Amino acid sequence: MKLAADRLLGIVLIGLAAFVAVQAMQLEVPFSYDPVGPRAFPLGLAIILAVLSCVLIVKPGSNETWPGRQLGMKLLLVLATLLVYALLFTKLGFIITSLLAVTSLSRIFGASWGKALLTGGLMAVVSYFLFTHALGISLPSGYWVEPLL
Amino acid sequence: MKINKGLSTYASMLMLAGGILAASGVQAQSDATECIAPAKPGGGYDLTCRLAANGLEKTGTIDKPMAVSYMPGGIGAVAYNHVNGVRDDDPNLIVAASTGAAVNLALGKFGEYDADDVRWLGALGVDYGAIVVNADAPWQSLDELMEDLKDNPGDIAFGAGGTVGSQDWMKAALTAKAADLSPRKLKYVSFEGGGEALAALLGNHIQVFTGDLSELQSQLESGKIRVLASLSEERMSGPYADIPTAKEQGYDVQWPIWRGYYMGPNVSDEAYQKWVKRMKALSESQKFAELREDRGLFPMSRFGNEFNDYVLEQVDQFESLAKEVGLKQ
Amino acid sequence: MFDFLIHGFDVALSPLNIGLAVLGALLGTLFGSLPGIGPINGIAILMPLAYTLGLPAESALILLAAIYTGAEYGGRMSSILLNVPGDAGAVMTTLDGHPLAKKGLAGPALGLSAISSFVGATIAIIGLTLFAPLLAEVAVMFGPAEFFALMVFAFASMSVMMGKDPIKTAIGAVLGVLIGTVGVDSSTGVLRYTFDLPELYDGIDFVVMIIGLFAISEILLMLEHANRKDGNDGLPPLGRVFVSLKEVVACKWTMGRSGLIGFIIGILPGTGASVAGAVAYTTEKRLSDKDNSFGTGNMRGLAAPEAANNASAAGSFVPMLTLGIPGSGTTAVLLGALMLYNITPGPMMFSERPEVAGGLIASLYIGNIVLLALNLPLAGVFARVLTIPRWVLVPGIAILAFVGVFQLHSNLAAIYLMLIIGIFGYLLRKLGFSLAPVILGYVLGGLMEQNLRRALSISGGDLGILWQSGISLGLWIAAFALLVLPWLLPKLLQAKTRKA
Repeated sequence: MKLAADRLLGIVLIGLAAFVAVQAMQLEVPFSYDPVGPRAFPLGLAIILAVLSCVLIVKPGSNETWPGRQLGMKLLLVLATLLVYALLFTKLGFIITSLLAVTSLSRIFGASWGKALLTGGLMAVVSYFLFTHALGISLPSGYWVEPLL
Repeated sequence: MKINKGLSTYASMLMLAGGILAASGVQAQSDATECIAPAKPGGGYDLTCRLAANGLEKTGTIDKPMAVSYMPGGIGAVAYNHVNGVRDDDPNLIVAASTGAAVNLALGKFGEYDADDVRWLGALGVDYGAIVVNADAPWQSLDELMEDLKDNPGDIAFGAGGTVGSQDWMKAALTAKAADLSPRKLKYVSFEGGGEALAALLGNHIQVFTGDLSELQSQLESGKIRVLASLSEERMSGPYADIPTAKEQGYDVQWPIWRGYYMGPNVSDEAYQKWVKRMKALSESQKFAELREDRGLFPMSRFGNEFNDYVLEQVDQFESLAKEVGLKQ
Repeated sequence: MFDFLIHGFDVALSPLNIGLAVLGALLGTLFGSLPGIGPINGIAILMPLAYTLGLPAESALILLAAIYTGAEYGGRMSSILLNVPGDAGAVMTTLDGHPLAKKGLAGPALGLSAISSFVGATIAIIGLTLFAPLLAEVAVMFGPAEFFALMVFAFASMSVMMGKDPIKTAIGAVLGVLIGTVGVDSSTGVLRYTFDLPELYDGIDFVVMIIGLFAISEILLMLEHANRKDGNDGLPPLGRVFVSLKEVVACKWTMGRSGLIGFIIGILPGTGASVAGAVAYTTEKRLSDKDNSFGTGNMRGLAAPEAANNASAAGSFVPMLTLGIPGSGTTAVLLGALMLYNITPGPMMFSERPEVAGGLIASLYIGNIVLLALNLPLAGVFARVLTIPRWVLVPGIAILAFVGVFQLHSNLAAIYLMLIIGIFGYLLRKLGFSLAPVILGYVLGGLMEQNLRRALSISGGDLGILWQSGISLGLWIAAFALLVLPWLLPKLLQAKTRKA
């Protein structure tokens, strides 16, 4: 298992190197004042990457242990929370989405519902005013909040 | 509001800072105005937005301060797409633009949209290109440089703060053309920004720097550089009075770098004309003249349809130059 | 000769200006400690305010310079406490700073980094005062060929970081360089690896990169720690609060050397605090890491990048004040601020506007003293961040990451990119990669490529230009020595002993 991860990585990286090289070859350069041009550097990198990956496949190193199924689900849950946070960030505004995201993250990291909701509410409102009023950063407020201010 | 229409596919990719999007829904009622600087804070577009924001506020043309937000990406391409796709009819939004944006439009670097896809509003100031050499350089006039360039194009390295095809490069390319030299035969080195190119000139790593007049003031005072020509229609005043234009030296190269604004394609005529009036009034006020001068810009007053035509014509010119040198098919 | 400085202290020591320096130091620390919100944003946001308030030029500049130095101090806090660099210069600070915090030495680490910052900045400010005009001449001697040689040297000096897994270090650096190639090629204007997405035209932004790579992956790793079955939840103990005099004294040469390195790199236009931190760290590892403890919480490994990044911040004022050429993004914004006040920096500034030039330098001295005075006693308070339970800390990091990226891009695409890079960073860390080589590759690779191509377009393809000047030749020899000596030296010594 340990060895497999690095070998798999090596194969993926060789694929990446090939992709980088093909993309570089396909660049259309109208004209270039320098003799090197925009292709050479990525091509060179692709070659180095491919060689290093081969070494990695032959001599794999050590990895950390991978998360089990239960932890894996939690990790996906965190990522899903962050993705939803991003998707709704501008639509619902900073306060609502932050409330949702913070509450959800708080829950995943072991807080009770009460604590999580309290953290979410406080953090969303306090940070909104801190950023917008104290630091002058403009954040999405959401349609609904504007009339209340 | 009307924004919803555009919030389809493009919105998911290009959606603007929430504050802006959300605020724009409300702005329609409260007339809170906004200027998008299509770059990171601190650059030329930031300056362009602040010029309008400070000017309009100081002269009392608008009662609420104008918000300035940043939308970097593709030298303005991200903002251009955003205004066309999402906030195409926002009557309170202006976006900063410059000659550089016109060059990119000509090269088709703004994606699917063309120069006539927005409503060009007007320009509040202008800077001019300049041909600069080190004070120790052998050339005393543009003519001497041009003669030398014709004979030994390989010995004279031009440098500026932009890529091939950028507005900084255009200055060098047009200069070469004026010497009957193909821009492709030129020796040109692109730097990250005018400051680095200027440093390379001071260190004699390049021989000619095609920069902008406003960034040269301190160097002029120190006497470390010599400006062979300004790429303006006529001589400038103040510290630049001694600099001859390229035209008066017999080379017809002009390069104004205007700093202006555009609005969404579906903004109503009424809203557009209101902004044109605001800008016109602003450009005529004495207070504004001081603001503009503080930012090292020269006066330029083209507004409304006149400006729109000016930009479109400019884009056409750049396009034919780009085709000529093979930058564009 | 130093009239301008005496005049400057006169100006800077007025009650209003001292107040502004303290205010700026506080605000700067706050801006710097928030990931993604660095000195550039702080200055860009406050500049219009200073202008609208009608502050005189020297006062406005003192405020802005204090924000700048403050942000350099603030940037280290999240590096040490959360393993998330607050700004570009603080990337190397994570390497030993965070392990120290994990050992329960967060307080001493914060204290030591404040002192190192102070020492580094002081060295640089003294250098700035004494030699500014002279150094400006040196700075312009660096052309593309010299910069290329400098980058070769920087990569060579990274070889010391190879550690136990040299292949992965090298792969990490290559991946970093590759990420740096995304966007408009700054020479030909050709788009590389942008896939027709305008959001990628400008390349992958540094802030998006470090927030994704460090902050997002850290959140995911924290989840794993929180779910460990063996009872070790990874929460660091909170040990003693203050750094001991002995620890500071042990780092005195580290601070001195690193401050000097940082200052020299800082005066070169175009290279910044991140390069300074990297070169100082690797130099120090080479010189004083006897027991191979760099990267596991060595005080010197913390002091080196901290002294260097603050020194480089002050060093970047040299080209700005003497040539009117910004040495960094932040000084570019400061230059804009000066223009608003109708002051054009340059050699004439010291004679024509001594109150501004002197006031600025004096305010750098004062700002640093204020910051040291603020930071030392507060180290214990800041260290308490570590005692915040994860269910509060993690959402907090998430909010900061989102706000940091969003305020810079006004654009959701940047946030998605940050999340993708975060997953990438998590995978790398699980696979046993260190993140520092990735970041260094990303920073140095682009500079290396562009300067090589600039040099060769100047010479018309003649490679000779790359080692023509004394500076570049020296850098090549140094780079070569760095790569070969560690391997050659033991063999030579062995041969000698055998002969004897």
